[in-house]
Amino acid sequence: MDSVLALLLNGLNSSALILMAALGMVIICGLMGVINLAHGELIMVGAYTAYCATQLLGLNFAAAMALAFAAAALAGILMEVLVVRRLAGRPAETMLATFGISVLLQQLVNIIFGAQSQYVAIPIKGNFSIGKVVVPYYNIFTVCFVAAVMAGTVLLMKKTKFGRRVRAITQNRDMAECLGIDSARVDTVTFAFGSGLAGLAGALAAPVKSVSPFMGGPYLVNSFMTSVVGGIASFFGTAVGSLMVGESTALLGGVSNDVTANILVFLMIIAVIRFKPEGLFAKERR
Amino acid sequence: MRRLAEIPVNRYLDFALFLALGLFPLFGSLFYTQLLEKYLVFLIFAFSLDLVWGYAGLMDLGHAVLFGLGGYTMALSLSAQEGVPEFMARYGVKQVPLWLQWIVPQPAAVLVCILLPALLAGLLGRFLFYSRVGGVFFSVITLALAEIFSLFIQSQQEYTGGFNGIGGLPGLSLFGHSLSLAEGYYFVFLMVLLVYIFCRALMTSRFGLVLRGIRENETRLEFLGYGQARFKTAAFALSGALAGFAGALYVPVNGMIAPNDVGMEFSTAAVVWLAIGGRGNLTGAALGTLLVNVLGNALSEHFGAYWQLLLGAALLAVVLFFPNGIVGSLQLAVRGRTVRKGAARRE
Repeated sequence: MDSVLALLLNGLNSSALILMAALGMVIICGLMGVINLAHGELIMVGAYTAYCATQLLGLNFAAAMALAFAAAALAGILMEVLVVRRLAGRPAETMLATFGISVLLQQLVNIIFGAQSQYVAIPIKGNFSIGKVVVPYYNIFTVCFVAAVMAGTVLLMKKTKFGRRVRAITQNRDMAECLGIDSARVDTVTFAFGSGLAGLAGALAAPVKSVSPFMGGPYLVNSFMTSVVGGIASFFGTAVGSLMVGESTALLGGVSNDVTANILVFLMIIAVIRFKPEGLFAKERR
Repeated sequence: MRRLAEIPVNRYLDFALFLALGLFPLFGSLFYTQLLEKYLVFLIFAFSLDLVWGYAGLMDLGHAVLFGLGGYTMALSLSAQEGVPEFMARYGVKQVPLWLQWIVPQPAAVLVCILLPALLAGLLGRFLFYSRVGGVFFSVITLALAEIFSLFIQSQQEYTGGFNGIGGLPGLSLFGHSLSLAEGYYFVFLMVLLVYIFCRALMTSRFGLVLRGIRENETRLEFLGYGQARFKTAAFALSGALAGFAGALYVPVNGMIAPNDVGMEFSTAAVVWLAIGGRGNLTGAALGTLLVNVLGNALSEHFGAYWQLLLGAALLAVVLFFPNGIVGSLQLAVRGRTVRKGAARRE
């Protein structure tokens, strides 16, 4: 019983990290329709910013998170203005270009910091136990923080003027422009916000995962798979998707090994796509 | 003279490239001949990617999975020629497993190398294209497949050698006679030529025409009665067979195979070759592959990470400024000049 509870709680923690990494993807890919292969590298930028801020500059973790958001958002603005915007309406070219950017970012970080893994101290130490199950405080912080960011993002998109503009552009760009929305500016801000969320995900994961120039790949793949399962433009669907992926990887990982669990989850996702191509929770067919 | 001018510019390039490749061992050093032999194998892989990406318009970001299936099958077969391979014995495998016994005879191994990837590609196509998953989602799913496949290979240590891969394998041999370096080079060269001719013939056939039609306007071709899913699946499976064949050749040529050769890294590398060289005419695939690999070999020794940085920047520049790649841009330039000449003559 205890081991099942431990697996479930571990799964919840990894679900939260997956969701955090996928949130930016939902905004950039789901709402803007841009497939960003540099998503994992934006997460890496966030993680390295957290590393620099806490280990080299000695700032506290909250400041590090804010800086990680800002750094990734800045990278996002540059990407959008210099590259993504010029390739609007050409998804395959956008993928290639963002792949080029991901290589650039990887190698820049590799040249500056070296290929070895960096260490970020866990900001909230200690743990408590339920029966025999030990839960670190940082895991609880992670879950609560991700829930808060998720709620904030949904509110931003559903309740504010900015969110309404973004959704208007998603539904009908020409009409939105006719109504006086500066779609280019909204695009840049949306892209920056999505990138910033990715940076935040990097900072959040940095103390518990390895931080290296080539850490981005698995995050990219995981975020894609979760958001595809849930329906790429749906926040709720992505939350459920990340819970499914996180928990089933943890539970299957308990009975076999991590890789088998990964493969099974991947097959499950392929099956979902076969029978519900629009994702489990999407409103419209893509 | 007019008929000569009508031959597209990339045919001349093809001819020049193959001539250079064919003559190289007569003048080049042994070291570079061996290196070029490996790049020849990459050419077959690049052609197979060009079939799905250039002609069918499906950007496969996990093409190395198909390459790797062929490669690992061949590596297992070669390593089990004389009983239990050393790396398996290290993990306590006492006798050759039954499935491995089947692929020990070389003809069977080659067959499996070609059929297994074709089967995987066909199944994936059956699942994806029939539910109308195409375009970028196809790329995303194949990317995920590449990541998972290399994890899988690394986890099956007793059968794949794990992270270190399978090494120390014998070189090319035909009917029990092992080939010298020059013989091996020309054998691979012949294979490249055959694959090139096969792809060329395939793409000028009705099948290729329909495939290109689907790439340009899927809805219209469906109205004409050509089901997109059937053609895309067939193209993907064929490309899988070729990629598997390239993998099977790669193993004896390179002497080893490792998870790096089957995952995201190698898949995206091939995508970069085609993006830089140009797609949909085979010439671009060949030129891009040779250019990137030869330059990479010359530069990465001294500049390491900077070469990768340069490659990323080059990819970005090509996508932004020459979306058709080197050969595509060249074709456009030549065509533009002949059009201008024609216009001048009319005046």
